[in-house]
This record gives sequence, C-alpha cells and structure tokens, in this order.
Amino acid sequence: MSELLSKVAEILNAPESLVQRSAEARAEASGKSVDEVLQSWAGGESVAAVEKTAEEPAPVQEETPVEEPVPVQEETPVEELTTTDESSIDIQKDDDEEIVQLLIEEELVEAKKESSFALLMGVIGVVVFTYLFAFSIPKQQSENLVLESLNNSVRVSEEILEGATIYNQLNCQSCHTQNVRVLIPDSQNGKVLKNRFANKNLILNTGLLRLAPDLSTLASREPTNDGVWLKKYLTDPTSVKEEIPHPSINFLNEQDLDYLITYLLSLGSTNE
Amino acid sequence: MKIKIFPKNEQEFSKFFIVLIPFLLLLFGGISLAKESYFLFVNILPQNNIFNYGFLDKLNNHITYSLLLSFLIVFLTSYLLPKTLGRRLVIFPIFFLTSLGVIGLESLDLLLGFLFPNNFYSFGNTTYTMIFKVLILFAFVGLLSINILAKKEASMFISAQYLFGAAIFYALSLIVYRGNFAVFSDNFFINSIYVSTHIYVGYSFVFLALLHFMTTKGINGTLYSKTLGSISFWGYLFLLPWTNFKFYFGSVLPNWIENISLYLSLSLALPLLAVTVNFFRTVTTRSEENKIIYGLISFSFGIFVVTNLFQIVSSLSNIIPILSLTNFEIAIRYGYVFSSILISIAFIYYLIPKIFGREVKFTRLESLTVLIIKIVVAGTLFSNALIGIISGYSWNAGANAGNPTIYGEGFGLLWSLISTPLSVNLFLSLLLLLPFFLFFISVMKAIVSGEITEAETVELSEEELPV
Repeated sequence: MSELLSKVAEILNAPESLVQRSAEARAEASGKSVDEVLQSWAGGESVAAVEKTAEEPAPVQEETPVEEPVPVQEETPVEELTTTDESSIDIQKDDDEEIVQLLIEEELVEAKKESSFALLMGVIGVVVFTYLFAFSIPKQQSENLVLESLNNSVRVSEEILEGATIYNQLNCQSCHTQNVRVLIPDSQNGKVLKNRFANKNLILNTGLLRLAPDLSTLASREPTNDGVWLKKYLTDPTSVKEEIPHPSINFLNEQDLDYLITYLLSLGSTNE
Repeated sequence: MKIKIFPKNEQEFSKFFIVLIPFLLLLFGGISLAKESYFLFVNILPQNNIFNYGFLDKLNNHITYSLLLSFLIVFLTSYLLPKTLGRRLVIFPIFFLTSLGVIGLESLDLLLGFLFPNNFYSFGNTTYTMIFKVLILFAFVGLLSINILAKKEASMFISAQYLFGAAIFYALSLIVYRGNFAVFSDNFFINSIYVSTHIYVGYSFVFLALLHFMTTKGINGTLYSKTLGSISFWGYLFLLPWTNFKFYFGSVLPNWIENISLYLSLSLALPLLAVTVNFFRTVTTRSEENKIIYGLISFSFGIFVVTNLFQIVSSLSNIIPILSLTNFEIAIRYGYVFSSILISIAFIYYLIPKIFGREVKFTRLESLTVLIIKIVVAGTLFSNALIGIISGYSWNAGANAGNPTIYGEGFGLLWSLISTPLSVNLFLSLLLLLPFFLFFISVMKAIVSGEITEAETVELSEEELPV
C-alpha cells in the first residue's frame, strides 16, 4: 500500500500523510477500502461519496479561519463535492481536480454552523451575571452593612444640603475629592469616610478623580476654616493665590454662595 | 453627493454618518480645547453658568463618551451588521426610527445640558431623558437580536458579536446610572460600573468590531483564527465590566469586589494575547497596500494594546494606591476612545468609494491629517498617564508624611510638577482640532469632487424571518 500511497502522492504532488488521511476519509464516506480509493486515485475510477447531509457547512468567505489561504474556497462549496445515490454519476474526467479539491478541503478549519440563539443567550447571561454580581448584590450588601451599623445617619441642615447641591451642580467633584483613601497612612493621619445614609449630592460629592486637594478636612485647617476667606477665595481666587488657577464662581448669587460656604465649612466634621 | 432624508436601505443610511462623524469629531475637539483652556487659563477667561470648567467638563464627557459612542454604534450597525449576517436588516424602517431615537436622544441631551446645566450629570446625560434612553436602547438591542437570529451565514461573524456586546452593555450602563444613591459606596459602585460598561466595553467593542472588519475586508486579509477571535470576545465581555473597581482599592467598596477587580484586570492579558496573535497573523495575509489605511489600523491597534497594558499594570496591588483617583484612569478612557476614533477614520476612508462611489485620493493632506492625529493621541495618553503617576505618587508621599489631603505649599509643589504635562494637554487639544478639521475637509472633498468610481453593490437576502 505504501507504494501505492507514494505513487498517488507523487501524482497529486501532496504529502503522503495528507493523501493517507484524505483516502481514509473518502473510504469511510464511500464504504470502500482505502486501497480501492488509492487505486482509483492512481488512475482507476473515481469513488463517489455516499449520501451526505445537504447541510454541510459552507466555508465562510470573510472570516473563515484557514491554515493556508486558498483562493478557490468561495467557488467550491462542500455541497458540490457530494452526490446522492440517485445522482451518482461518473466524474472521471474531473477526477484529479476533485481529489485536489478534497485535499484542500481537509486542510481547512471548517466554519462550524454557529447558533445565533446560543450567542445571544450567552451574552445576555454575561450581562445579567455582571449586573447581579458586580452591581446589585454588592450594592445591597453595602446598604445592609450600613443599616446594621449603630451610627448610620448623618444629620445635616437644609443649608448644608443646598450647598451640597450647588457644589455638585458646579461639578467641583471633577477636580476635588472628599475621599482620602483608607490606606494605613491615610487612616492614621486623615479621616476615614464611613458608609452612612446621606443625601444623594453628599454622596456624589465624594468625587472620583483628584486633580486638586482633597476637601475631606477642609474645615479643620487654616485658612479654609474661615468663611470670609473662603468667600473671597471663591469669588476672586487671584486676589488670594495667583500661582494655582482656581475658577472664580462670582456668577453665583449671594444666597447660593452662602449655602456653598456653609456646606464647605461642614466638611471635616460631618463625616468624621 | 446625494443623501436622502428617509433612506431606503442600510447603505443609504450609512451615508449620513460619513458626513456627520467628521462634524462630531470637530465638536469633540472644540469642546475638549475649551475645557482644557478653562482649566489652565481660568483666571483670564470669563466665567458664567455655561463657560466654566465644571460645565465644560460635563459637556466634554457627554460628547466624548455618549454622543460619539451612540453615533458609532448606530453607524456600524447599519453598515456592518447586514454584511456580517448576509441579509438585509429585518424591518429596516423600524430599525431606522429606533436608531434615530438613540442618536436623537443623545443629541437632545446635549441641547438640554445647555438649557438646564444644573440637571446635567458629571458624565453627561440629563435627568430628563434617561428613562427614554433606556427604553429606546432596549428596542435597539431587541432589533439587533432579531437580526442576529435571522442571520443567513452559517458562521457568526466576530464583528456582529462585538456590535451586539457594545449595544447591550450600553443599555446596561444606563440602567445602572439610574441606580439609587443610598450610601457613600454607591458613588463608586454606580460610577465604576458605568465607566467600565459604557466606556471600556462600549468603545473597545466598537474598536474590535471595526478591527475585525478592517483587517479582513479593509485590507483584504484572511482572519487567522476564529477560535482566537472567540477567546478575545468572551474574554473581554467577562473581564472588562469589572475593571474599574480597582481604582477605588481601599475605599468603602467591599474588599472582595476590589480584589476581584484586580485579578480580572490582570486576566485581560489573555484576551489581549489572543487578539494580538490574531491581528498580526491576519495582517500578514493582507493584499491591499494602502499605507494610510493600514497605518491607521495598526496604530489604533497599538493604542488599544497600550491601553490594555495600562489596565494590567494598574492592577498590581502595590502600584494601584499610586494610580487610584488620578488622571491615569483618564488615560485609559482616552485610550479606548482614541483607538475607536482612529480606526473609524480608516473605516470612513474605506467606505467613501464603496458608498458614495467617489475615489479618495490619498494626498499630502491625508498624510498630514493622520500624522498629526497619531502624535496627538500618543501624546495625550502619555501626558495623562504621567500626570496620574506624578500626582498619585505625591498624594501618597503626602499621606505618608502626615498630610493626606495636601494643601498650601504641598499642593504648590505638586502643581509645579503637573502643570507642564497639563499645559501639554492643552497644546495637544489645540493641535487635535487641526487634523479633525483636515479630516473633515478631506471627506467633504472626496464625496463632493472625488473621481467617480464604481460604488459597492450589495446583494443581500431579503427573505422573511424563519417561523
């Protein structure tokens, strides 16, 4: 058989191992022996494949992964290689081409028929999983912890809440945080922010990015603990400090400015 | 140039976006410049309810993270989805109206932001339209699902998978954003998951959808491995939504979620490796040698890789305290956004002849546009990462020295260190306007006076849905 195999490999100009595997596959499909298949390829009759399902996956044009790019892939769908019992005809004259094509087909990593439904369910599953385990459950866990704690309420005046709203609307939290991290040096030297129920704006004002100083302890240090100084600084920053730019909020009306300063002066005590 | 108000099919609808996206990029560049100017020259510039850093920052966030993303998702869906599924979009008129709803509501938010600046959230989105956005996105995701179920191709194309992932996580991010702020940790929960699902997943999936399309169709490559493509898709889908929590390491978030975020961010190495191998093996088979388009694709991929590396590096537990709450996270966001913008520019250049039947001549104008964009993108990433590292290191050093908040002279010292890269940021945002303007000119020139060439004729199935 090895001689026959070598001969066929030589005729087809393909590696023996590839010819061997192709012959085995064809033999299984046709119900004949490997020798008979090789014999036919070496010059005998062609061996027609017996009935195969018509839903053989067609190669995908654009994204089909291939080991070796084969240009003829698009024009030769698998269906053309298969024949039914009724339509078994002699294709002797195209035999060599067919065999070469068969070998090429074997070298392709065929695109499996993929289920859209499975994909959609998979993605939706990941989305639900993410919502539950990265958001809903831990969020509830945190809220429960706060509910169970002894000190779970923040008492702040209406003026402070108004000030917190103005602080949020001005987007001060885009540069300032109120969230000194609870790392060892922070907890020793600064304030640890506790989980407690509070107004939405008080929560949002803790900030997510720190470009300017953290305001957690603003009211417990000089000169920021002075309302008059704060007012001057907020309405005309350059008169107080020139080298570091800070927006002037002189467009706020007097009352809103007072609310804001009341809120700022509450920092350093309400969250301690 | 002929654009119909009510397009009959997906290709006609795509024409809108080829004209609109250069406009949007100009808007993005303009607002970005205004924001950076109001940050550094705040003492000189006039201040009022609209022209102040706080409002411009919100506006910039809305345009960058919501408006542009919504346009890109709808654009890609209208052009790529039918091609990848091998059939015309099912109930196209409804799809068209839903798409208009998605981009219309995001545009309406921009207008409402000006009218009601106090109702504008930090990341953009006004309180008025949130519920409508969620509903319209549900409809959009539903239409995408119907189309995917009715696909004609045997195999599920990777671009379509990424598009579906981007749209569904976009919807999820808006649901999360409507969450109830009850305790302090909610600030980190809600904003973290919003940033990771909306920006990280949204933009990176748009980028990856385009990358797979452009490396195969754009430059005529053959996808190396579908398996690697699936690994990267499922990998990013599972991992990316968890990656923002790590920046609040040691905060009031539960410890387990912070630790999971660190480990899952480190695991990004796996899909990154898969997509990198796939990319390099795929582009070696390319037969199209358009230097500008190929250069944009490979540069955008480089930016995507660097962004992923930023994510991975910032997951190391002894580095994260330095990088938390700093501009380093902004560098990551911009990495995803810019990689998508870069590849979208390549995509638009690729589409003009296909859709408008006009040839794009790659002259010095286009070369200059691409060169400047590359410089700006690389510079912005580097500059923000540097600001992040310097400021994080300073905050930490201050904390160790007994002053965790750093006021007065301490902050003066820090400012002297970061003011230079912040000035570079301002210069880069000014520079960014130039290539966006040149790109706009280049696109308009091509579709108005480009040489006539053969437009793409798409033969897609229009069969009824399988019952």
